[in-house]
Amino acid sequence: MHGWTGQILRVDLTTRTWRREPFTEEFALTWIGGRGFAAKILYDELRPGIDPLGPESKLVVAVGPISGISAPNTGKTVVAAKSPITGGYGDGNLGTRVTEKLRKAGFDALIVEGRAERPTLLYIDDERVEFLPADEIWGRGTYETNDWIYARYGKGAGVLNIGQAGENLVRYAVVRSMEGRAGGRPGMGAVMGSKLLKAIVVKGSQPIPQAFPAEMKTLGRDDLRAVHALDQKSAWSKQGTTGVLGWCNEVAALPVNNFRESHHPEAWRVDGERLAAATVAVYGCPNCTMQCGLAMLDDQGRESELDYENMGLLGPNLGLFDIAQVATLNYMCDDYGIDTISGGGVLGFYADAVERGAAAGDLRFGDFAGFKRVLTAIAHREGEAGDILADGTLRAARAFGHGSEAYAMQCKGLEVSAYNCKFIPGMALAFGVSPIGAHHKESWIISYEIQQTPRESYGRDKAQKVIDLQRIRGGLFEAIVSCRFPWIEVGWGLENYPKYFNAITGLDWELEDFWPTSDRIYALIKLFWLREFPNTDRKADYPPHAWFDPANADTEGPIAGRILEYDKYDALLQHYYDIRGYDRRGIPTRETLERLGLGAEAKAAEEHATLT
Amino acid sequence: MRITVKLIGGLAHRLGFGEQEREVPAGTTAGGLLTALGIPDARTVITTRNGWGIAPDEVIEEGDRILVSPPFSGG
Repeated sequence: MHGWTGQILRVDLTTRTWRREPFTEEFALTWIGGRGFAAKILYDELRPGIDPLGPESKLVVAVGPISGISAPNTGKTVVAAKSPITGGYGDGNLGTRVTEKLRKAGFDALIVEGRAERPTLLYIDDERVEFLPADEIWGRGTYETNDWIYARYGKGAGVLNIGQAGENLVRYAVVRSMEGRAGGRPGMGAVMGSKLLKAIVVKGSQPIPQAFPAEMKTLGRDDLRAVHALDQKSAWSKQGTTGVLGWCNEVAALPVNNFRESHHPEAWRVDGERLAAATVAVYGCPNCTMQCGLAMLDDQGRESELDYENMGLLGPNLGLFDIAQVATLNYMCDDYGIDTISGGGVLGFYADAVERGAAAGDLRFGDFAGFKRVLTAIAHREGEAGDILADGTLRAARAFGHGSEAYAMQCKGLEVSAYNCKFIPGMALAFGVSPIGAHHKESWIISYEIQQTPRESYGRDKAQKVIDLQRIRGGLFEAIVSCRFPWIEVGWGLENYPKYFNAITGLDWELEDFWPTSDRIYALIKLFWLREFPNTDRKADYPPHAWFDPANADTEGPIAGRILEYDKYDALLQHYYDIRGYDRRGIPTRETLERLGLGAEAKAAEEHATLT
Repeated sequence: MRITVKLIGGLAHRLGFGEQEREVPAGTTAGGLLTALGIPDARTVITTRNGWGIAPDEVIEEGDRILVSPPFSGG
């Protein structure tokens, strides 16, 4: 078996033991890596109903066959667990040196079990695993933690760490790495915190197993240059993802004031042009050829890496249109280890709830000092509001009551990322059927909806497009584990990825050969959710109520008076289910599961729920 | 007739402006405007008029706000 190390590292923090576990070629070919490995491991090993923040919970860190090799943008790692915010499957990816180092230490995945007795740093290298005390850095932010680790292990070490939010079990705490990297927004940082695991440090020196290393070396070198040239030609990285903000504002897709409005006359103050002009440094992930981490100075002169999501949700969504102010909130989120998307969503929801009288307090949209104060309270679970808001928008809405759940901008408990879909049906579907709760990474079809098909349509083509993109973005890229940006942002052809895969593994796969694996991963994740929520129905795949509420329609601008319609959305959702081979609840049918080779997993699901 | 053209992302850097008012002849199509901007192939960009998609053969009208962006995919 080429292309995989063939080994998983299993670590038990309770017993302070570890072991290498080989996996079979069949496992590798069935699940490929990354999200595929993580979903399969968590499905097989987690008893349904466990507390995601209890000792039975497990954290999976997984890479894929092309992760860490010298090729365009291969520096990503997947972190996954049962999500403490949704109660379902959760994962995310982040750029980190762990990607390369874990493979060079001889592993394709790491499973962390149990709970340490005291704050712990897990150290991994070629030959050993150590459980080291981390009391000195417990309670510190991620920047200081990172520096502390670098001082001891060198800047070349692979590092994953958490901040105070993860330690305090904020349900949307992330895992952090390097300067501005973060991943695992459905609370993977809280899972680390629940295990008293402050950081994971990885070093490795073995060669990454490759079938044709000489061919891969040439291919990788040439393609790194080629993608870089595409980026230079397109000037994409001048603004990175922040260029999207101005576009969203123009087409009425920007979240403003907890998604109440979809555009704002002051949005230009924080758009890509302004951010490009304010950029003082640019950072990226390992092996990146088109770095997108634009660093601005915050109100204290600290570098803060901004992208579109955090700009949108910590800016216009909070009624803030000042780069330094947004940079400050972003820096605080990064340092505390709070997901910027959920953090912005929660803060916006709270301001909305206060303004509508559902929650006590004096926070208002545009109140920069107030947002800083609340963010700090959340990270430390200070005060009643801080403690409630640390549990996320949906739980906070249920605590506040007064109908506030209607404007809690979330799906399955996870806050919506920065696309206001009050009149973008296909993207609303993409959020609704995302396998981790509302997130844009699985499928992003807004430009298709605006340019290539009527925006107001709920046609079957949109359901098909969502699936096509899920197969590529959420399946292919999350399993081989590589950044999707060369493809989506500068036009690097998808056909290049099977070339890397084949050079590494010695196989002869075409692009189409990856789609059954993508579908298998999505179906298995559906089964994971079903076991946790046996009485689930299609309503779980609905986007927030606010996008259907005529009272929430824009009063002026491109989509004035327009809003999603429930019956039409439901028909669009049914198209999605029909194409996928899911039943009316949104669960894969037995026939679909058999077709995808998930017969055993279906039987395991039937111990807890019904299949059709 | 006068229209406003706004460029998004890398296009603003490549073409040298972010937003400007322009005088264009009556009857100019979206595709014609793109050609005048130095974008010969409309399929390589996303173009909207007043927030809604516009096809290359559609005629631009006085006061239109035309937005042109690279084919990004939302991060």
